[in-house]
Amino acid sequence: MDHDHHPKTDVHTEEAVVHDVAAPGPTFVAFFFIVTLAALALFVGFSDGLGPWKLTANLAIACVQAGILAFYLMDLRQADKVTWLIAASGVFWTSLFFLFTLTDYLTRYLGVL
Amino acid sequence: MAANVNGPVAHHFNNMGQQLATVRMGMWMFMATEILFFGGAFCAYAVYRLMYPKDFEAGSAALNVGIASVNTFLLLFSSLTITLAIRAAYTSRTKALGRYLCLTTLLGVAFLGLKAREYHMDYEEGLIPNVSTLSPEAKEKHAARMAALAAEGDRLEAEAKTKSGSEAAELRERGIELKARAAQPPVAFNENVKVVLSHNKAFKGRPLDEQTYDVGTPSAANAHDYDPFKVQLFFMFYYSMTGLHVLHMIIGVGLLTWQYVLTRRGFFDHNARFVYIEVMSLYWHFVDMVWMFLMPLLYLTGPHTAGEAIEMFKKSVGMTGGH
Amino acid sequence: MAVDEVPIPKLDYTPQTIPEPEPTPEQARTRRNYLNHTTSVLSWLLTVDHKRIGLMYLVAVTVFFLFGGIAAGLVRVNLVSPHGAILELDQYNKAFTAHGTIMLFLFLIPVIPGVLGNFFVPMMIGAKDMAFPKLNLASFYVWAIGASFFLWQLIVGGLDPGWTLYPPYSTKYSHTNVLYAGLGIFITGFSSILTGLNIIATVHKMRCPGMSWGRMPLFIWAMYATSVIQLLATPVLAVTVTMAAVEKVFGVGIFDPTIGGDPILFQHMFWFYSHPAVYIMILPGMGVINEVLTCFSRKNIFGYQAVAWSSVGIALVGFLVWGHHMFLAGQGYYLGMVFAFLTMLVAVPSAIKVFNWTATLYGGSISFPAPMIHAIGFIVLFTIGGLTGLYLGTMGTDIHLHDTYFVIAHFHFTMVGGMMFAWQAGLHFWWPKMTGKMYSDFWSRLAAIVMITGFALTFLPQFVAGFQGMPRRYPNYPPEFQVYNILSTAGATIQGFGYLMPVFYLTASLFFGRAAGNNPWKATGLEWQVPSPPDAHNFKDIPEVYFGPYEYGVPDGLRLVADGHLGKKAVHANGAHTGAGVTNGS
Repeated sequence: MDHDHHPKTDVHTEEAVVHDVAAPGPTFVAFFFIVTLAALALFVGFSDGLGPWKLTANLAIACVQAGILAFYLMDLRQADKVTWLIAASGVFWTSLFFLFTLTDYLTRYLGVL
Repeated sequence: MAANVNGPVAHHFNNMGQQLATVRMGMWMFMATEILFFGGAFCAYAVYRLMYPKDFEAGSAALNVGIASVNTFLLLFSSLTITLAIRAAYTSRTKALGRYLCLTTLLGVAFLGLKAREYHMDYEEGLIPNVSTLSPEAKEKHAARMAALAAEGDRLEAEAKTKSGSEAAELRERGIELKARAAQPPVAFNENVKVVLSHNKAFKGRPLDEQTYDVGTPSAANAHDYDPFKVQLFFMFYYSMTGLHVLHMIIGVGLLTWQYVLTRRGFFDHNARFVYIEVMSLYWHFVDMVWMFLMPLLYLTGPHTAGEAIEMFKKSVGMTGGH
Repeated sequence: MAVDEVPIPKLDYTPQTIPEPEPTPEQARTRRNYLNHTTSVLSWLLTVDHKRIGLMYLVAVTVFFLFGGIAAGLVRVNLVSPHGAILELDQYNKAFTAHGTIMLFLFLIPVIPGVLGNFFVPMMIGAKDMAFPKLNLASFYVWAIGASFFLWQLIVGGLDPGWTLYPPYSTKYSHTNVLYAGLGIFITGFSSILTGLNIIATVHKMRCPGMSWGRMPLFIWAMYATSVIQLLATPVLAVTVTMAAVEKVFGVGIFDPTIGGDPILFQHMFWFYSHPAVYIMILPGMGVINEVLTCFSRKNIFGYQAVAWSSVGIALVGFLVWGHHMFLAGQGYYLGMVFAFLTMLVAVPSAIKVFNWTATLYGGSISFPAPMIHAIGFIVLFTIGGLTGLYLGTMGTDIHLHDTYFVIAHFHFTMVGGMMFAWQAGLHFWWPKMTGKMYSDFWSRLAAIVMITGFALTFLPQFVAGFQGMPRRYPNYPPEFQVYNILSTAGATIQGFGYLMPVFYLTASLFFGRAAGNNPWKATGLEWQVPSPPDAHNFKDIPEVYFGPYEYGVPDGLRLVADGHLGKKAVHANGAHTGAGVTNGS
């Protein structure tokens, strides 16, 4: 349209038009850690020693792996606040669901206190 | 290092920065929905794991942990290759981009292939609740057990004739109970899973229904004893959750293939379009993340040994002499 | 528009930006707007224009509403007699299930986001389109196809477990089309997620210069909160329906008691979505009311911040109360107590809104065209609905009221008395903008009154019937409830006429209505500062926003812009701005 010469400034002149795309170094290092953790998880899984702590250990390993993956390979480290908010919201809302539902099953059979 | 990104800006955006940021934001929001999608399933799993820990251990002990372990490393490696693909797109190295996309796709296809083999083996072992029929080995074992039960029932009834009063009545009742039990038709999945578990040397549990009713089994409680019906529940989770994961991987492989085709057609020669590879990688990383949690929860819950895992993998891909 | 390019009119209110001039009669005859700039069928079917997509939603949603209304009619006519007047038991089950599912998934959830959200979110923030226009179109088709598929499944096979689809009945014992109907719901849910995603991205990234978060119309805040709920809650419905489908296909599943499953887990998963879903339905309606109320009381909203944050509050706390649907289901009562407490809490943001609306009206210069009648009706009826919800949210009284007609009356007051009337208010408010035509003032006001009267007559007796113990979802009932049912059916008939009336006079306005002009209601929003119907690209130039959204009490604020006290000073020769918004000094 012929009026398009009018100023196009917007409130979103992006801070960095593109942020640094993952440099190879940190990517490989992160990958190495993730694979090591996976091997560790298998080791824990195949062993008998931990008993009831096996679940906790495996979940902890998975959480750390997921964290490294998100932080380094999914570029969360360089992302803006809104992206962090979105990722955190996903995790937060899921944990709400866990919290209330598990509370039902944990307290249902307790009887009248 | 921020390269010069060049490429067409869509009509409703003011500049490339806005466009890139919006595209990224859109994908992250989709990731949030996926977290909740799988999260719901994980929560359901958590509920039942809380309620039936021993049965879930038993179910896990019946799974093919060999394939799962190999698949884990395939998927992790594919996460690396797709991250490298982004960099290739960003620096306009379209040949390298094509190669990385191809590699990622192949790794994904390999995962799917092994998974298909795993499902096929589950089918052959008769581990589909309500659908499978008795496997030959299970049929044999079940028949033998039922025969033993019936024989014991007869023996008790005979013994009852030699006794008198309440003792005789008790013996006779027990005999009738055992014979009724022997006449009941088997639940296919339950018998099949008992057979599979008996092959897992690391697993020490015994089925509860055999504890209560059967003859000749030790009465001392075993902390790993399981109810085969609840193992069906575990297997429903196994199929649903790995099935959903497989579905996501199939979609991912499809999208990767399409991006590969686009690469060959020069679509990514505008290096601003690296953002679409980036967005694809977010999806792919997420699928990987789901597997990171899924694998230990499903496969590493029950006891396995490394040796057994290797044997199982070899058997799955036909590396041993025969079944 | 550039300040020095267009004469600034003298107004007794202050719009957010300088209005584009009214087209001259010559221009009006020849101008190309979003409706007529291309005319082929394909240009409509393959459009990425958010306004055209909004209209397509309007047509589809109206058709589905008609089907849902027919199902309601069947239910109400059947209930005229204590023995069931026209339907057999299983037919009755199918009728109320059809009514519930169609009205919820095919009407209430998509209507305002799909029609008014699509049409006006970009315009109200000064954008040329949504963030993802092609995704918008895809979203429409996914919804339309899923919805049509779902409706088809209802017609050929029926669905009878109630819209709540509880197992084990739905998964093991029902002989109806649960699987395919569930698939239809899954598909429409996907569209809901994508619409929400689009709106959130649009609001974050596409606001024009000067449109800060604090200057956005409250409709946008409401749509944003709705979209967050859509994004985060719907996936859980998806996985729930998937798990139920697996159970149906395999014959055993995770909700199956015979293998140790728990049907209440389904209810947890189902209501985790379905309670926030009711906020998906009502929040856009509340957003519309903000716009209508301020315009027709010629007054700024009272407590902008409170209303804006209460939308966010409803979205957040709305996720924490789902167990109040399950007090009697077998949920543990410790958790029940937690949910009851949180349910009391979620009423607070809604109440804040009602107080603020009342305060907005107070001292205003109020007129009553149709949108305003609907809006006032909304406030009264929604308040009644909300208050009755408190009885249901308290565990003790819920024991008596659960699964009775009290519940039915409660949710119809909030969803129909609330949401439906808010939709009518929005439709009537923005109709002149969307079509460029004005409808009949007399018929629209009459229809509003007929609707409200019919509605009250339908559902007020149901409170009484429910309190006296009449159970819901029953095709026959003890004779002492008959009088309430007859009153209710009479009201439903009147309501039916009321809903049909707009179909006629709005359609008639397309052919016989007078031209509406840019701003028939003298409203302040950005969408009212452009011609009706709008251009294909919404604005001639991206607008610059100088004021808040409801400066109705401020006469001639644009004079500040003309005199260079706001914004103009910062315009340099090459057109670049040093900053947007209010700057002082000359």
